[in-house]
Amino acid sequence: MLIDKELANNVSKTEERLETLSKKTREAIIDIAATETGCHIGGSLSVTDLLIALFEKYIGDSRNQIVLSKGHAAAALYAVLYALGIMEKNPAEGYGRSDSLLTGHPNHKIKGIPYSTGSLGHGIPYAAGWALSQKLKGSTGIGVAVCGDGELQEGLCWETFQVVQAKQIDNFLCVVDRNGGQNDGFVHHISPIDDVRARFESFGFQTVEINGHDFKEISEALLGFEASSKPFAIIANTVKGKGVPDIEGNPKAHYAKIPNRLKNKWKRSMV
Amino acid sequence: MTLSGRDTYRDELTKIAEENDRILCLEADLGGKNHQFESQFPDRFFNMGIAEMTSIDMAAGLAEAGFIPFFSTFATFASLRSAESIKLAMGYMEKNIKIIAPYGGVSGGWFGTTHHSLEDIGVVRTFPNIKIACPYGEADTRRVIREAVLSPSPYYVRLSRNESFVSLDRDDEQATMPLVNQKGNGNLCLLSIGEQGTELCKSIQEVYPEISHVHLCYIDQESLRNSMDQLEEHGKTFLVVEEHRLAGGTASLLAILMPNNRVYSFDCGVEWPIYGGSHQETLKYLAFDYETLEEKVKNLLNEGAEVNW
Repeated sequence: MLIDKELANNVSKTEERLETLSKKTREAIIDIAATETGCHIGGSLSVTDLLIALFEKYIGDSRNQIVLSKGHAAAALYAVLYALGIMEKNPAEGYGRSDSLLTGHPNHKIKGIPYSTGSLGHGIPYAAGWALSQKLKGSTGIGVAVCGDGELQEGLCWETFQVVQAKQIDNFLCVVDRNGGQNDGFVHHISPIDDVRARFESFGFQTVEINGHDFKEISEALLGFEASSKPFAIIANTVKGKGVPDIEGNPKAHYAKIPNRLKNKWKRSMV
Repeated sequence: MTLSGRDTYRDELTKIAEENDRILCLEADLGGKNHQFESQFPDRFFNMGIAEMTSIDMAAGLAEAGFIPFFSTFATFASLRSAESIKLAMGYMEKNIKIIAPYGGVSGGWFGTTHHSLEDIGVVRTFPNIKIACPYGEADTRRVIREAVLSPSPYYVRLSRNESFVSLDRDDEQATMPLVNQKGNGNLCLLSIGEQGTELCKSIQEVYPEISHVHLCYIDQESLRNSMDQLEEHGKTFLVVEEHRLAGGTASLLAILMPNNRVYSFDCGVEWPIYGGSHQETLKYLAFDYETLEEKVKNLLNEGAEVNW
C-alpha cells in the first residue's frame, strides 16, 4: 500500500508539472498571436498538451525524435521549447521577424527542431525514417510524428503508413491531434475522416483513442505504445483553441492576430 | 564488356557496402528480382514498395541518424513525383540522400511518355545544394557512386536504361568533378551531357576533328559555375548536346553563366514521343540524332550562315 501511495504521489506531481508547463506554453502562444504577424492559434492550442507530454517524456534522450508534422502549429512548438527551457527567450519576441529564425512554420535551424515542416505530410515519413534508423542500430529510440486530422487528407500520410506496416516499424508513433478543423472550416464538412481509428487499424497500427487534453490518458496511451509490438497511433480528441473560452471549438480561430488588450483578457480567462 | 548504368550502380554500391556499413539501399519496386545488394546485404536493403515520396522523406530520417541511404527508381518518378521531398529534404535541409535515377531521357523507349524523363534535370537543378551527375559509361558511373558515398552532399545521378558505354579516358581518378576534355583546335566546342549526348559528340568529332569536345559529368549550378574558366579555354561558341528539353536544360543555364560566349542547344525539343520503338527510334522521332546534329554543326562551322535553332 505504501508503494501505491508513492506511485500516486509521483503521478500527481508529474501531472501537476505538465499542467504548469501547459499553462506557460499557452501563455506564450497567446503572446505570439499578439505579435505583428499573429499565428495559427487554434491548432497550436489544441496540440499543446500532446506536445508537452511527448517532449517531457522523450526528448531528453537523443535516440528519440519528435516531429511536429502539422507545421502550422509552429507557435505551439516554439512555446513548448520555451516552456521546457530549451529555448531561452519567449518566442513572441522574435516570431515572424526578419532577424529571427522563428518562422511561421518550424525551422530545423532552431535547437530542438529536427525537421522543417509546414507542407503537410512530410513529417510523418521523416519520423518513420528516424524510427527505422534506430531499429537498424539496435537502439530503443523512437520516432514520433504529431499530425493533424486535416493533414490526413494528404496521400503521403497513407503512403507512409503502408510502408511502416510493411516494414513493421514498431518504434514509430503517430499522434493525431484531432481538433476537427482545418484552414477552410470543419474537416467533416470538407473531407470527412470519421473512421480514422479503423483506417489506422487497417494499416496494421495498434490504435487508441483518448482525450488529448487529459495528461493521465495521454500518459497511459504512451505506456501502451511502449508495450506495443506494432506501429502505434494515438487518436487524440482535442479542442481547437483549447484553454481560451472565446475561441474554443471555433474553426475560424485557425489563424488569429490579436490586439494587446485581447491578449491580456485571454490570459486571464484561461482555463 | 561493360555494364549498363543501373547494373553498374548496383554492383559498385554492393562492393562499397562491404567496407561501409552505413550504406543503405532503397528501391521503389523497380529494382528487379535478384537484386545484387539485397542478396548480399538483406538487412540493409529495403524495397519500399511504390512509394517514392515516402522513400525520400524516410531517407531523410535515416540520413539524420548517420546512414547513407541510396534510393533508386526511374528518373521521372524520382524527380517529378517526389519534387517537393527533394526540395525540402535534399535541397533545403541538405540531408545526405543519394538518388540514383535510371530511365533518364527517353531510354524507356516503347514504355512511352509516362516513363520518359526529359524534364528531370531542369526540376532538380532548380533546388540549390544538390549535386547532379550524368556519368557516361561504366567507369565514370562507378566513380560517381564512390564520390557520392564520400561526399556529404545530396546527389541526383541520372542514368540510362540498358545501354552500356565505355567511359572517356581520364588522367585522374578524381577528375569526374567537374569535367573531362577531349580537345580539338577549333572555335566550336561541343558540350556533351549524359550517355546519348556524349555518344553523338564522339561520333561528330571523329568526322570533324577540329571541333573541341568537353564532356560534363556534374551539371548542377555549383559545378557548372566552377567549370566556367575551363570551359572558356575551349572556344567562344558552345553547342550543348543533352537528352533533355530546352527549358531547364543545361544550355539555358550556361547561356546565362557565359554572357560573353555564344551558347546553343541541341536537345529533344518540345514534342511528346507518342510512338513506341527503341531508345534510338524514340530519339530519332525527337530529331535527337546524328544527322540532325551534323546539320547544326555544319551551320555553326559555316561562318555567316544563318543559324536557325
